[in-house]
Amino acid sequence: MIGQMGRIVSTVIWVVISFAATSLILWVSGYGVAEVLSGTVQGALTASGAFTSTVRWAIPLFLIALGVMVAFRAGFFNIGGQGQFYVGACAALATALGWRNGPALLVIIVSAAAAAGAGALWSLIPGWLRVRFGTDEVLTTLMMSFIGTLVLQYLTGGPMRNPEGTGTTASTERIPDAFRLTGSSGVSWRLLAVVIVTAVVIWALMERTRFGLSVELAGRNPLMARWQGVNVSRVGLAAFAVSGGLAGLAGAMEVFGPAGRLVTGFSPTVGFDAIVVVMVGLLSVSGMALSAVFFGGLQAAILFLPIVTDVPPAALVVLNGMVALLVTARFRSRRRRPAPVVPETDGEAAAGEAEG
Amino acid sequence: MSEAPSPEPAGPNPPEPTGERAVRCRGVSVSFGPVRALREVSLELEAGRIHALVGQNGAGKTTLARALAGLQAPDAGRVWVAGREIPGGNVRAAAAAGLAMVHQHFSLPPSFTVAEALELTAARPGGKAVYRRSDLEKRWREYVEGLDGAPALSSRIRDLPLEVRQSLEIVRAMASRARVLLLDEPTALLTPSAIEALFERLRGLRDEGVTVLVVLHKLREVEAVADTVSVLRDGRLVFGPVEMTETETGPLSDAIVGTADAAAGSVAMDEAVSRAGDDVVHLELENVSTPDSAFEVGCREISLRVAAEEIVGVAGVEGNGQRSLVSAIAGLIGLERGAIRFGGEDAAGDDPARRRQRGLRLVPFDRHTEGVSASAPLWLNQSARRLVGRRRGRRPLVSVRSWREESRAALDRWRVRYQSVVQPAGSLSGGNIQRLILSRELAGGVELLVAAQPTRGLDFAATGFVRESLSGMRDIGAGVLLVSSDLDELFELSDRLVVMLGGRIVAEFHPPYDRRAVGDAMTGAVR
Repeated sequence: MIGQMGRIVSTVIWVVISFAATSLILWVSGYGVAEVLSGTVQGALTASGAFTSTVRWAIPLFLIALGVMVAFRAGFFNIGGQGQFYVGACAALATALGWRNGPALLVIIVSAAAAAGAGALWSLIPGWLRVRFGTDEVLTTLMMSFIGTLVLQYLTGGPMRNPEGTGTTASTERIPDAFRLTGSSGVSWRLLAVVIVTAVVIWALMERTRFGLSVELAGRNPLMARWQGVNVSRVGLAAFAVSGGLAGLAGAMEVFGPAGRLVTGFSPTVGFDAIVVVMVGLLSVSGMALSAVFFGGLQAAILFLPIVTDVPPAALVVLNGMVALLVTARFRSRRRRPAPVVPETDGEAAAGEAEG
Repeated sequence: MSEAPSPEPAGPNPPEPTGERAVRCRGVSVSFGPVRALREVSLELEAGRIHALVGQNGAGKTTLARALAGLQAPDAGRVWVAGREIPGGNVRAAAAAGLAMVHQHFSLPPSFTVAEALELTAARPGGKAVYRRSDLEKRWREYVEGLDGAPALSSRIRDLPLEVRQSLEIVRAMASRARVLLLDEPTALLTPSAIEALFERLRGLRDEGVTVLVVLHKLREVEAVADTVSVLRDGRLVFGPVEMTETETGPLSDAIVGTADAAAGSVAMDEAVSRAGDDVVHLELENVSTPDSAFEVGCREISLRVAAEEIVGVAGVEGNGQRSLVSAIAGLIGLERGAIRFGGEDAAGDDPARRRQRGLRLVPFDRHTEGVSASAPLWLNQSARRLVGRRRGRRPLVSVRSWREESRAALDRWRVRYQSVVQPAGSLSGGNIQRLILSRELAGGVELLVAAQPTRGLDFAATGFVRESLSGMRDIGAGVLLVSSDLDELFELSDRLVVMLGGRIVAEFHPPYDRRAVGDAMTGAVR
C-alpha cells in the first residue's frame, strides 16, 4: 500500500529532522555535536554491552506499547501505562515474595498473571467510567497512573520496604535468584522468548480474530459497529483490560528480569515513552518493535553519555522529546473515539437489560 | 392533471409590493453541489402577521429561512427586510434590519446559567469585558419574568425543560427588538401543550406588530397558528402565500406531496400481493412502545406484522418515530412495553447480534455513518456481518485472506466500483457504498430485511438497482420492511403501506394507493 509506505517514509524523515534540530540546539549551546552523536552511537550500539543495554530498555517500552496500541485501535487514548506498569510490578513482586519456596516456573507464571490482572484492573476502572458514563479516559487513565506511582512509593517505603536496605532510595527485598529470568544485564533468551510470544499473540489477536477485527471496526466507527451487532461497550472494556494487562506484564518482566526488586520511582517515564513508541511505530506490531529498539537505544545512550563526554545526558532527553513532539504532532487524534454528548447508554443499556 | 385547485400559484413575475412588506425575496436560488435546494423562489410576507412555511423534508424550508436571515448566500436572487436590501449572506445586515432567527437546534450553551447564556448569545450583548452576576441577572430579569414557567436566572440551561429552553431561544432572538422573527421547526421537540403555549407566544408577538415566519411540519399546527401559508416542494414555491381563511388542509396536503403526478402515483400492485407462502410471519410487533430519544419521538403502541414474501412500507414525515421503530427491531433500544417476535418466537431478550443470527438484516438510515466505517478497509466493512454471533466449532483464528477473497467476490457480484479491497470505504461514492451495504446485508439466510431510506440521495440508476434488490428479496421469500420518505418508492414497492405520525401507526393502505389519502394521513390533515 502506497499510503502505508508514505507514512513510514515521512516518520523516518521526521526522526532525521529531530536529530538535526537537536544538533542545532547542542551547537548553539556550545557542545560538540560530533562528540554527542558518536557518543550516542557508541552508547546504543557499538560500545561493549551497548546493544544489550538497548534491548534491555526496549523490552518494557515494547510490551507497554503493545497495550497502548490495543487501546488506540479501540479508539481509546490510554495514557496511564506508567501506573499500570507499576501496579503490575508490585503485584508480581508481592506474589513472588509471598511464595518464595514455590516451583520457579509456576511462581513466575502465577506472578505474571497477577501482574497482568493488576494492570488490567488499573485500566478497567477508567475504561468502565468511559464506556458507562463517557468520562474522558485521557484524564482518568492519567490520574490512575499517578495513583499507581503513589502505590509503588507507599509499598517500597512502607509495608514492603527492605529493613536491611541502605541508601536513600526506598526499595524492597530481592526476589530469590531462582525466579530471575535474566541477570542484571536485563536480557536473556528466556525473556526475549516471552516478549516475542507476547507480541505474536497480540498481533494474532488484533489482526486475525473476530475480537481484534471488532475492535478495529468499533474503534473507527462505534455507531456502525453497533448496527452490525457488535457489543461496543464489551469490546471496549476488553480492549482496556488487554491494554492494562500488557503494561502490568511489562512490570512483572522488570521484576523477574533486570531489577529483581522494586525501587521507588524506577523507570519513571517508560509508560509515557511507550506512547511515542506506538505513534512512531504507526500502530503496527513490527513498526513498534523497531521504534522500541530506537527509543531503547536512546535510553541506553543517555546512561552511557556521561561516561565518555561532558555533555549532559539531558541533551538526549531533548532528542527524545523532539521526536515525540514532531512525530506525534502529526498523529491526528482521528482514531480517538469521540466522547458521546449523551453517553452511549440508550442502546447499550437496553441491550444489557435485554440480556439480563 | 394540473394544480388547478391551488389558489394563486406563484407566478414567475410577482407584482410589485403595495402594502407594507416585512420580508421580500425574488428569484432566490441556492445549490449545494449538484443538489438544487431552492429554485427561483419569490415570496412576500405582509408585516404584522404569522406566516407558515410547510413542505416535505428536503423541500428547502430551512434553506429559505437561512437565505432570508442572511445565513446562506443565494446563488441568485435578492432579499429585502423591512424595505432594505440585504447583501447576499450578510447576517449582520439582516439583523440590523430587524430580523432574528430561532434555529431548529437549540443554540444556548447547556452548561451556562440562563442569564449567562442570554448575554452570550443575544444579538446585542452588553459588550463589557468583566461581568458581575448580579448585573447580568438584573439586565435579563425583565425579559424572562413574563414567561410561562419562568426559570430562575441562575439555573443551568441543561436543567430546563425543552419548552422553557425554546422560550428562551425566542427571548434571545427578540432581545434585539427584532421586528421579524423566523422560527425553523420550533415544534419538533415540544409536547402538544408546550406547542399551544408557543403559539400563544407567537400570537402575542404578532399583536405587538412583529412579523413571524414559522416553518412547520404538521397541517394541524398550521391551522392553529398561521394567518397565511406557503408550500415548498423540491425547492420551488408551489403554493401561496395564501390566507388560511381561503384554503383548507386538503389542497395544502396535495401541494406538499404533489398532485401533478398523483394519477401516475397510483400503482396497481395486483401481481405481487399475497401470492403464497405468507403463512410465515417473520416479524410481529404487538403494542410496542419505546422511550422518546433526544432526537425523536418513541414508538407508541405499534402493532405490525411482516410476513414472508411481502414488502411492508412505512410512510411518514421524518421524525415521527420511524427511527425508533427501526432501532427497536434492531435491538438497539429496549422496549418500554409490548412484544417483539421473529418467526413467531419471542425476540425481546435477544441482543442485536442474536437478532442478526436469527435472520435480521438492516440497511440503516445513514449509510455513511451507520452503514459503513468510512476509514476501515472495504473488505472489513463487507465482512462485518461475520464478526458477531456464536457458532460451535468455529476456529478462533480468522483467515483474512479468504475473507478478502470472499469480499472481493461479493463486491464484484454487486457491481461495486472499487480499486482494491483495502481501500477505505469512505472513498466510494454514495451509490457504491449502498451497493456494498446491500452486498453485506442481502446475503446468507435473510429472513427479515429492514431497509431505512435505502435510496435517499442516490442517482437514478442506483435507485433502480436498490429497488430491484428489495423486490428480489421479497420474491425469494424474505419479509421486507421499507421505511422511506419517498412516496413514489413506497407506492412502487409496497404490498401494504402503514403511515406513522407522532410515533403511532395512524393508517394502513392497500394498493392501488391514493396519494391524497396517504398524504393526509402523513400530515394529519382532515377533509
